[in-house]
Amino acid sequence: MATTTLRLYLTCIRNTLHAAMCLQNFPCQEVERHNKPEVELKTSPELLLNPVLICRNEAEKCLIETSINSLRISLKVKQADELENILTKKFLRFLSMRAEAFQVLRRKPVQGYDISFLITNYHCEEMQKQKLIDFIVQFMEDIDKEISELKLSVNTRGRLVATEFLKQFI
Amino acid sequence: MAVTSIHPFAQCITCHAWSPDQSMVAFCPNNNEAHIYRLVEDKWEKVHVLQKHDQVISGIDWSARSNRIVTASHDRNSYVWNLEGSEWVPTLVILRLNRAALCVQWSPKENKFAVGSGAKTVCICYYEQENNWWVSKLIRKRHDSSVTSVSWHPNNILLATTSTDGKCRVFSTFIKGVDAKDSKKSTSSDLKFGELIVQLDLSSSWTFGVKWSPSGNTLAYVGHNSMIYFVDDVGPSPLAQNVVFRDLPLRDVLFVSEKTVIGVGFDCNPMVFTADERGVWGFVRYLGERKIVSSGSRYGSQFSEAFGKFYGQSKQGGSNDAVETSRTRGAVHDNCINSIMPLGERGILTKRFSTSGLDGKIVLWDLENEHDLLEL
Repeated sequence: MATTTLRLYLTCIRNTLHAAMCLQNFPCQEVERHNKPEVELKTSPELLLNPVLICRNEAEKCLIETSINSLRISLKVKQADELENILTKKFLRFLSMRAEAFQVLRRKPVQGYDISFLITNYHCEEMQKQKLIDFIVQFMEDIDKEISELKLSVNTRGRLVATEFLKQFI
Repeated sequence: MAVTSIHPFAQCITCHAWSPDQSMVAFCPNNNEAHIYRLVEDKWEKVHVLQKHDQVISGIDWSARSNRIVTASHDRNSYVWNLEGSEWVPTLVILRLNRAALCVQWSPKENKFAVGSGAKTVCICYYEQENNWWVSKLIRKRHDSSVTSVSWHPNNILLATTSTDGKCRVFSTFIKGVDAKDSKKSTSSDLKFGELIVQLDLSSSWTFGVKWSPSGNTLAYVGHNSMIYFVDDVGPSPLAQNVVFRDLPLRDVLFVSEKTVIGVGFDCNPMVFTADERGVWGFVRYLGERKIVSSGSRYGSQFSEAFGKFYGQSKQGGSNDAVETSRTRGAVHDNCINSIMPLGERGILTKRFSTSGLDGKIVLWDLENEHDLLEL
């Protein structure tokens, strides 16, 4: 059941991204000879589209904000307990610090979310739109797996360390 | 298939234009240069590179009779290029813009051209003999956002514009000393420069790609909400029709006849719209071939789920990947198409045209064998 709802959630995000990723080169209206992602500046309200919020449940949601030349995707990843919370925070911070390597990753997540992507018209010109969407969706699929694996290995290690430690009292 | 040839010229093309005899093509490969290629024995050869701008060129137009090229760029400038000997010589245009120029088009008589800009203005430029430069008159305070496209009415006076404020406007561009008095006989008699003839507020989103029909009776433009708008009787009481289609929004349109429009855009495949005998416009079909995708699996997620279970395990994981990628792979362009230009004699019926897009290809199309479209 869990995988079915995840699939539906990801399909919904995929279709929304497909419709939202219609970006074009658009120079700044406010500053001379500049070209900036409008979704970050938000100086001209007419260049922004309505944001779309897709929620799987309270803990997992995805916010898609679109403008004429850029698109911002913010994810909130499931965090069931404190350990997952710490792991998610550390892991996503690790990724965000290496944002250049990912090109579409934003250095700082949008407030209230764990990780954000910023896609501009330049990315759409260089990369295939479909592959970009695949990347985002694949990332979302993998992140849950990654976190639960990390959690498992932390637990295993904890148990091992505890066993070793407690041996001296026997 | 309506495609006659595909020419991958560059990584990415922002705009293109054809020489009057269509032996040469000028395009901007998404940088500050404009390249001119000539067809020599079935091979395209780069003959000229126009270098003067210092930011990406957003608009290019090649006049049919006077053989002049006008370019507009994000660096706020525009140049008119004249062929002198074997060199293209630029002439400065005093645009008086403080934001990027976004689009440009020669008027039908080629004595003026219009530049739409990010400064929420439109410049109408004309040549001043004394100073040997092109000067501009601005239409100010009419647009609430950037002007995305301009189109000249065949009478050389009316200009239609679309803007990111969602409106389409029609202006008079009568300039004393440039336009002869009699040319405005057909329209109402007291049109001053910059007078707003009509403002169409049909779209709830940004508008692009405005075009007049060959006779100038119909106006078509597109909205970013996947709609195309057709306006008849442009004047005090216009008649408008909205056509909704189910795919991604369009960027540009072209009238191939009074009753047929080709639209291109984010769906990477030209769409054909036609008007029936009563003048009601509707979507007909795609022009390029595309692989047949069962409609169930394309939209409904539950459906594809069920189908996946039926047809075994092959649809695991990336079940939608296969479906989605085939959508674009079937088309000739791999990325958004952003301009469409007519080819051949400029008359009532255009049978050939070219499209260019962000995938860097220029594709030539011919409607000769598309019998179902030509009968309309």
